[in-house]
Amino acid sequence: MKRWNSISAAAVMSVSAIALSACDEPKVDAEIFSSLQQCTDNSDSTREQCEQGYKEARSQHAEVAPKFTSKNDCEGEFGAGRCEQAPYQTRSGGSVFMPLMMGYMMGSMMNSGGRRSSIFPQPLYRAADDPKGYRTADNRKVSSKTGRTQVASSAGRRPSMKRSTLSRGGFGASGGRLGSAAT
Amino acid sequence: MLRIPATERPDLERVAKEHNFQFQTNGGIPFWDESIYYQFTLKQIEEDLEGPAEELEHLCFELIERAVNDETVFRCLGIEECFWDYIAESWRNGEKNIYGRMDLSYDGEGPAKLLEYNADTPTTLYESSVFQWEWLEQAMEKGLIPDGCVQFNDLHDSIVKAFSLLDFDGSLHFACVGDIEDDKGTVDYLEECAREAGLSTCFISMQEIGIDDRGHFTDLDDQVIKTLFKLYPWEWMFEEEFGRRVPASGTRFLEPPWKAVLSNKGLMAFLWEMFPGHPNLLPAYFDGDRRASELAGSFVRKPLLSRQGANVEIIHDGKTQTRSEGPYGEGDHILQAYHPLPEFSGNYPLVGCWLVASQAVGMCIREDQNLVTSRDANFIPHVILD
Repeated sequence: MKRWNSISAAAVMSVSAIALSACDEPKVDAEIFSSLQQCTDNSDSTREQCEQGYKEARSQHAEVAPKFTSKNDCEGEFGAGRCEQAPYQTRSGGSVFMPLMMGYMMGSMMNSGGRRSSIFPQPLYRAADDPKGYRTADNRKVSSKTGRTQVASSAGRRPSMKRSTLSRGGFGASGGRLGSAAT
Repeated sequence: MLRIPATERPDLERVAKEHNFQFQTNGGIPFWDESIYYQFTLKQIEEDLEGPAEELEHLCFELIERAVNDETVFRCLGIEECFWDYIAESWRNGEKNIYGRMDLSYDGEGPAKLLEYNADTPTTLYESSVFQWEWLEQAMEKGLIPDGCVQFNDLHDSIVKAFSLLDFDGSLHFACVGDIEDDKGTVDYLEECAREAGLSTCFISMQEIGIDDRGHFTDLDDQVIKTLFKLYPWEWMFEEEFGRRVPASGTRFLEPPWKAVLSNKGLMAFLWEMFPGHPNLLPAYFDGDRRASELAGSFVRKPLLSRQGANVEIIHDGKTQTRSEGPYGEGDHILQAYHPLPEFSGNYPLVGCWLVASQAVGMCIREDQNLVTSRDANFIPHVILD
């Protein structure tokens, strides 16, 4: 419909009121383990499923874990002795650090009619200021306990890739020189 | 097309504040003038502007089709060879676009003539979409303009819809040079539209964009930027330090790379070559093309890449009539037949026709006291009334 045919639809801006808050979000079943051993010992999942989830989480770890250019900064967030060197280097050859993987999360077989719930298998971490809580690589708290639980569906999505940024400032020079991009 | 005096809204200062616009006691809102408005008939809008703009958009598509198969186009537009495949791929993959503005010379009669296509980074969007609309509603309610006025303005809903139709993964980043008010205001508005479309968004200054060890662009949290709306011209990006990293970055851009073909004034020369005599086109040639002698000494000389009327020279009967200053004088130019903007009591209105997702959905009029519309032009609202 063309707006000029009717004046009823106000174009006045509405501040977006549709953002879904975390507590409104649907929950999905998940299982959380501190190790592969814990999964094979305690889960309803088969050994094969435990291994598959662990392998996937482990392979994600280096890509999705938060990154730091100093070990101190990393340990400040994740606790003393809880960081390792990431398999990356900064452009100047410096080391990159990331927290140790402290557990993993995968979909649960329960309450899903025999189908695994839609959780992307992923590594979990523990922050220095909340040492009992398990968090995703995107810093979403999922649980303080291992075993079966429910998590917000967005927390179960594939975590974002985090690699260390090697340099910044490679855009913007023309704007700095010429001013507005407006046409 | 009439230029009609009107009374300003008495509470203009409050209105300005509400929209975070500046207000001066003597001058009102800078670059906005509602002491006049332009009035069109529905027929003028539909037949002379809306229809032709969409037809021109399709002619533009034919040029891009040609460019992806014929490297002379990229070459003449001054686009470096390392970006040819990248631009061509973005077109072949059907990467969607959000918006653009065609600037036309139109006097209410006869065909509107395309002067240029701001296809990549147009601004004055919020004024066109929201502020102009609100003026219409309030001015009519207060009896400052006649009842029954409508407006060529479906911009807001169209932009929201265009964002909602992007097939989309993750967060949409928005970028511009953050301390330039005009640019940031436009990006803020577009970001708001994207959020209204249900997308999650995030702003970053162009200068803050990073690159990681695998060549992905990153934001300040070191997150990979998957999709970036940049109010920053393609030609600037191409020549900057990270420019050559763009094709392999994996980032999807809005406006898409193929807009680099259209936001270049060489477009005008190619369109005339491919569609000579089209009623909405003016004869135009690359400077140095022998065919330019057909312009018989009356033409406008414009750099392929310039912004806001900078470095434009009007030559009439072989003599320079006006020349605007600016930083874009280097490089190739086009010569476009001289077709002055219409004059309304010493003012020269330029009609901007907005396209959103390639549909003509709105209009803005900017009025200058010079024939070359500059950044000092005033925005004048319009109505449609039959």
